[in-house]
Amino acid sequence: MAVNSSSRRVISLACLFGGIALMVIALILDAMKSDAPFRGAFLVIGMIAILAGLFFFPTLKHHRTFVYVVFLFPLLFTFVVTVIIPLVLGIGYSFTDWDGIRLTKFVGFANYGKMFSQPSFIWSILLTVLFVAFNMVLVNLVAFLLALLCTSKLRGLGFFRAAYFLPNLIGGIVLGYIWQFIFANVVTNLTTALFDNRYSMLSESKTAFIAIIIVYIWQYAGYIMLIYITGLNTVPGEVLEAASIDGASPMQTLFKIKIPMIAPTITICTFLTLTSAFKQFDVNLALTNGTGSISNFLGEYLTNGTEMLALNIYNTAVINDNYSLGEAKAVLFFIILAVVSIVQVRISNKKEVEL
Amino acid sequence: MKKKALALLMTGIMAAGMAACGSNGGAASSNAGTDAAASGDAQAAADAGTTSAPSGKGVRLLNGKPEIDAQLQDLAKKYNEETGNTLLVETIGGDTSASDELKKMYQADNMPDIFVIEANQADTWDGMLVDMAGEAWTDKTGFELTNANMGTIGFPYTVEATALAYNGDLLAKAGVDPASLTSPEAWLEACATIDAQKDALGITSVFGWCAEPANLGWSSGTHVFGQYLDSGLKPDDTTYIDLLNDGGQIDEARMKAFAEFIGMMNEYSDPDLLVDGTYDDQVKGFTDQKYVFITQGNWCVTEDTGFECGFAPYAFEDGFNTIIAGPPSYWVAYKDGDVEGAKAFFNWCAGDSAQNILVNDAGLVSPFDDCKYEAVNPFYKSMKSYIDAGNYSGWHTMLKKAGLENKTCQVFADYAQGKLDADGFVSTIASVIKSYYAE
Repeated sequence: MAVNSSSRRVISLACLFGGIALMVIALILDAMKSDAPFRGAFLVIGMIAILAGLFFFPTLKHHRTFVYVVFLFPLLFTFVVTVIIPLVLGIGYSFTDWDGIRLTKFVGFANYGKMFSQPSFIWSILLTVLFVAFNMVLVNLVAFLLALLCTSKLRGLGFFRAAYFLPNLIGGIVLGYIWQFIFANVVTNLTTALFDNRYSMLSESKTAFIAIIIVYIWQYAGYIMLIYITGLNTVPGEVLEAASIDGASPMQTLFKIKIPMIAPTITICTFLTLTSAFKQFDVNLALTNGTGSISNFLGEYLTNGTEMLALNIYNTAVINDNYSLGEAKAVLFFIILAVVSIVQVRISNKKEVEL
Repeated sequence: MKKKALALLMTGIMAAGMAACGSNGGAASSNAGTDAAASGDAQAAADAGTTSAPSGKGVRLLNGKPEIDAQLQDLAKKYNEETGNTLLVETIGGDTSASDELKKMYQADNMPDIFVIEANQADTWDGMLVDMAGEAWTDKTGFELTNANMGTIGFPYTVEATALAYNGDLLAKAGVDPASLTSPEAWLEACATIDAQKDALGITSVFGWCAEPANLGWSSGTHVFGQYLDSGLKPDDTTYIDLLNDGGQIDEARMKAFAEFIGMMNEYSDPDLLVDGTYDDQVKGFTDQKYVFITQGNWCVTEDTGFECGFAPYAFEDGFNTIIAGPPSYWVAYKDGDVEGAKAFFNWCAGDSAQNILVNDAGLVSPFDDCKYEAVNPFYKSMKSYIDAGNYSGWHTMLKKAGLENKTCQVFADYAQGKLDADGFVSTIASVIKSYYAE
């Protein structure tokens, strides 16, 4: 066993050092912009050798740890490459004058100062908060009513469930263009006939904001409805039956039994709506592209009357070609979403303990 | 056994997926002009008028006009047939910003050898573009893009024009001579004349002007606003773009005259199109002969309309007789790419067989003086008459600060809705521009 262990140790160390050497060579060649065709092969073989070295390392504890790491590695690697590294780089770029091509100097908190001095950005934050507040209430209300309908004894419930959920399967951009046509044509014909207003809802900031809310509810209520249906189905039948025998009216059953019993579902749905509404981008882009005028906000005429936070960040970076400022705004956006998510997790955990 | 087979299959799929991720794709649509014969390179270079041969690996061109992708693929085939060199055309489609995509390519170390830029994007690539001064093609055009730091950097592959596009047949029926439309008074009189004959002419309105900002902001914010910057000026006159780029200043008197002209367009436009219309509605209204004028350029119709098409100037001051004409974007060569290959392609592209494809198949208007092909575009004759007479202004609107059009287009929309009068338009657009430049 000892001989076996020592030979394994030798193989392990050989693989580890060989692997590290190959990877270092490959990375040096890459840094030198070498065209050597074996760079990739060196890198991959080096990685495999390191993994083999760890695998052969002769203790049970290491062996088990290695197996866990190997199974976690693909996910961890993807997570680091797609989330952690861009996050760290993004935070770093927000302190520079990076334009997507070059980085010439560090500017400290200048981008942060600049973004808070922009009335258009402050407007986007306020508009997003307002949008979130409206949607948290309206989406949940509509979804809950639809869930009640879909858990009743109506005929064709399967059809209704599918029909209400269907808009959620359509991409936001497509949805935005479909509704743009509806608002610019169908709704305008109605408003022209009823109120003699020949311009579409989308041509005014206030009504365009309402239009975005309507589309968002149409898109998202079906998804939230499914969660409420699951919640309502967990209410025990015998409790409902007992309430019925005791003479409880349908309204009493709803408010005294069903809603209290699905409180955790309501919490989950509320936070889902909250985080999702904060990140609103695609419908906003396709429906109004953030346009709309505000005649006076903090002493300025604004041209981004319906531009929410995510779209403002995109426009700052990509359209206005100001990547570092866009990064600074994105960092703030991240902080807001992180705080909301942490609060969500804390409250959800607390509810679970209470239950 | 089944489990092992499944595991093997999944491993295979994962490996294939990772290999695919690692491959140097990038091309949304690309085509090599079949297999390149390196032996033909020297001959190609000789034909193209250059002394040095390209690398032979193939030149990658990033095209920003998806509508001419097929024609550019034909161009690549022709280039390969005639020179043995390979051209790989990659096209960025739809609403994707070529500028943004190029930045991603740069960060991924996957830059094409030739790519498309608009004039105001040159500074973004400062020090990275090839100075092509002295190349054979530069002697055949006056439309190349020059930059103070980098020299002659932009190859003009097309010329586009924008002004007030008109239906000549309807104007003739209404008794209006388009050549007379060189002053605000003449325009007002023409509008009143045409408007009075709407039923007889079978039109909806005099203008098909659309100030909708969400989808047509590029039209009002860039092209129509560009008339304020350039109308009536010589192509090299940069008075108002210089003023604009100097902290966002405007000439209030000129802007007031421009605002009054736009006010006239608002008054005589189709109200259904003016605020909520789309590009398709606008162009269809013109081709259906429902509008006499539309605020687009020669790109809006590329085939025969069945009526005479032409351009009239935005004459918001007396004597304005120019249209905006020139390349809206350019092909540039990347300094760290295949420079000789790019130069060889540009020289070949300015020649007869390439121009044949670009003009006759792609419907572009050639920027080269010796091109013998007349564009099929119905506006070509009118464009040519302005260019030949020297009555054209530059596309200096492309030199304004990036993203400004998304701000100014909203002011046009508010003016169209009647929220602002001419004075309100001037003061609002001045404050919007000033604050955007201050950001």
